[in-house]
Amino acid sequence: MSEGLNYKFLVDTFFIALSGVPITLFITVVALLFALPLGFLLALTRINRIPVLHRFAQVYVSFVRGTPIIIQIFIVYSSVPLLLSSLFTKFNIGMNVYDVNPIWYAFIVFSFNTTAVLIEVFRSALSTVNRGQLEAAQSVGLTDVQAYRRIIIPQALVVAMPNICTATVNLIKATSLGYAMSLQEITLKAKVAANVGYNYVEAYIDIFLVYLLLCSAVEYAFKLYEKRLSKYKPSVV
Amino acid sequence: MEKYFDASYIWESIPLLIPFLKMTFMVAGLSVLFGTLLGFILTVAKTGKSKFARKLATGYTTIIRCTPSIVLLFLVYYGLPAIGDRFGLNLNNIDTAVFVIITFTLQFAAAMSEVMRSAFQSIDNGQFEAAVSVGLSNSQAYRRIVFPQAFVVALPNFGNSLLAVLQEGSLAYTIGLIDVVGKANLIIAGNYNAHALEIFLALAIIYWILSIAIEQFFLKLEQVFSKGKQGLKTA
Amino acid sequence: MLEIKDVYKSFGKTEILKGVDVTIDKGDVVVILGPSGSGKTTLLRCINFLEKADQGRAVFGDIDVNLGTATKKQIHQIRQKIAFVFQSNNLFNNKTALENVTEGLVIGRKVPKEEAVKIGKKALDKVGLTDKYDAYPSELSGGQQQRVGIARAVALNPDIILFDEPTSALDPELVGEVLTVMKNIAREGTTMLVVTHEMDFAKDVANKVIFMDGGVIVEEGTPHEIFVNPKEERTQKFLKRVLPEDFTYHI
Repeated sequence: MSEGLNYKFLVDTFFIALSGVPITLFITVVALLFALPLGFLLALTRINRIPVLHRFAQVYVSFVRGTPIIIQIFIVYSSVPLLLSSLFTKFNIGMNVYDVNPIWYAFIVFSFNTTAVLIEVFRSALSTVNRGQLEAAQSVGLTDVQAYRRIIIPQALVVAMPNICTATVNLIKATSLGYAMSLQEITLKAKVAANVGYNYVEAYIDIFLVYLLLCSAVEYAFKLYEKRLSKYKPSVV
Repeated sequence: MEKYFDASYIWESIPLLIPFLKMTFMVAGLSVLFGTLLGFILTVAKTGKSKFARKLATGYTTIIRCTPSIVLLFLVYYGLPAIGDRFGLNLNNIDTAVFVIITFTLQFAAAMSEVMRSAFQSIDNGQFEAAVSVGLSNSQAYRRIVFPQAFVVALPNFGNSLLAVLQEGSLAYTIGLIDVVGKANLIIAGNYNAHALEIFLALAIIYWILSIAIEQFFLKLEQVFSKGKQGLKTA
Repeated sequence: MLEIKDVYKSFGKTEILKGVDVTIDKGDVVVILGPSGSGKTTLLRCINFLEKADQGRAVFGDIDVNLGTATKKQIHQIRQKIAFVFQSNNLFNNKTALENVTEGLVIGRKVPKEEAVKIGKKALDKVGLTDKYDAYPSELSGGQQQRVGIARAVALNPDIILFDEPTSALDPELVGEVLTVMKNIAREGTTMLVVTHEMDFAKDVANKVIFMDGGVIVEEGTPHEIFVNPKEERTQKFLKRVLPEDFTYHI
């Protein structure tokens, strides 16, 4: 190891790490598909102070923001299988919990986590849209739903976009903790490759590079999209 | 091996875990301290005249922002001794806590440089101009007029970054630090992996309470500092 | 007392000042008029080194500095003699009214705190804010804020006070109180260089009016000369545009 970096390993493992990208992206997309609408709805319950739901959302957000993701993973990974196995025995389903693909646990954890993050993102974005916008929409005869769909949401989305970008990047980064659920993503794949010859420095350089590329690409994509959206932004003269 | 959920394990493990918060706090505290210092230097670079320094500081922040904590942690843990080797230094026997502190210092500095930069730039340039126009030197103008106002602006984001470092710090167990998470894993191993869920719930409760306390503390702090002083009431 | 000579300043490719000379004698109240973008504000900011001029000189008694290349020490020297009142008042948000006024005295000039407080209170009294010593800027109205801004300048006992459109950021009903304060301090013999759009103030208080347009001084003279007999066509056009129909000039 003191010989310096093993460049052949460095190059080979880069591609191994890269092969974990699809699963990372898959989890990210599923979590976002789940969290975007749910986060938005719960944000509405917060803003409009819908009884019970708004309290629930508040506690939920507080818990997710107040605990490390790794501990959320630990909890899901040690509780859901327990629940499942008792369900399997109860209903006589001939399935072993250990056969469940860990990606399902990843879907649960990261959807759970990202929803809470997005509640806060949407809440602050919605509160920046001027109350007058809703009143103006109603005054020209739009229903509340129409007003939201056509007037409020497009504006809130522009405000929320940078934070959605941050949330997405954080989500991608957080999937690196999938190792705790034996998820075959970027980090675990490269690490396993390194186990053979103790090439950990090289492996982590590769992992680092893959995340750097991935996150930069995501940030760049969001920037392009924001540019297209920004025509809704109130112009500051 | 199938045992049922037993809530008493939660309450019994909390007192066992609490003493190990000391390590958690020490690591987070030192990272915040060093990270703030390094963050300040980065902020100076970002707001300064040198284009090179600006690019360097911005590039650094981008790279750190794109690196998962656990990856940075292992890069430092394996990478530093490897670099040390090159220069004939044996860094393999350094305390694990040092690697953790370095990792989160690097991370906190990047976050803080953005917090401080945006706070600094949120203060209208007229404040500085007015200060020098009444005869303050540049450094007096920054120290007495600009920084105190920027500090209040930065406070909430500083609190958020501090919470983040505390939580990301929970990954330090992966390189063998015995902080509160490390201890929890030791307890679980001692139980032959039984009742892991209860112990993890205990951990979650500890972190949750801690986070709420810190959040409230910063809210109070904000109120104290912004009392009457900031143009919050009249926009 | 203060001579500003041949000031040039451009931002990027836009030339804002193209060789401006201004002479101010002790006790003068000089008003600079002109359309927006004519360079009035930039001139004022160059005199106080808030902008660095491309070239130009300021001669102030025995101090003779280059407005483009002045040293820190020279800048400090000039600023000790010239106070500035900003359009957006720029009160220190983290300081009370009194602290705003004493800050420059205590920190900039090393005046003992007690004495500074005495001077500060007197300055605030003069602008009619005796009951607002301990108010923070956010607790004051726009007009009150600007009066603190003037007190801050007056307290420094400067040789000249520069006013950069002190009323143009205010609501119309608040303009009067600020102009009254300015008239009062002018009557006390304070030397003032004022950029403003308030024609009445120029007419009633100034002893010299300068009309600027396009980065040069088009015309200057007594208020009578400018308002009644403007020589230059550009001045005439400007005045016709900004003066109300019933604006009359009486001596």
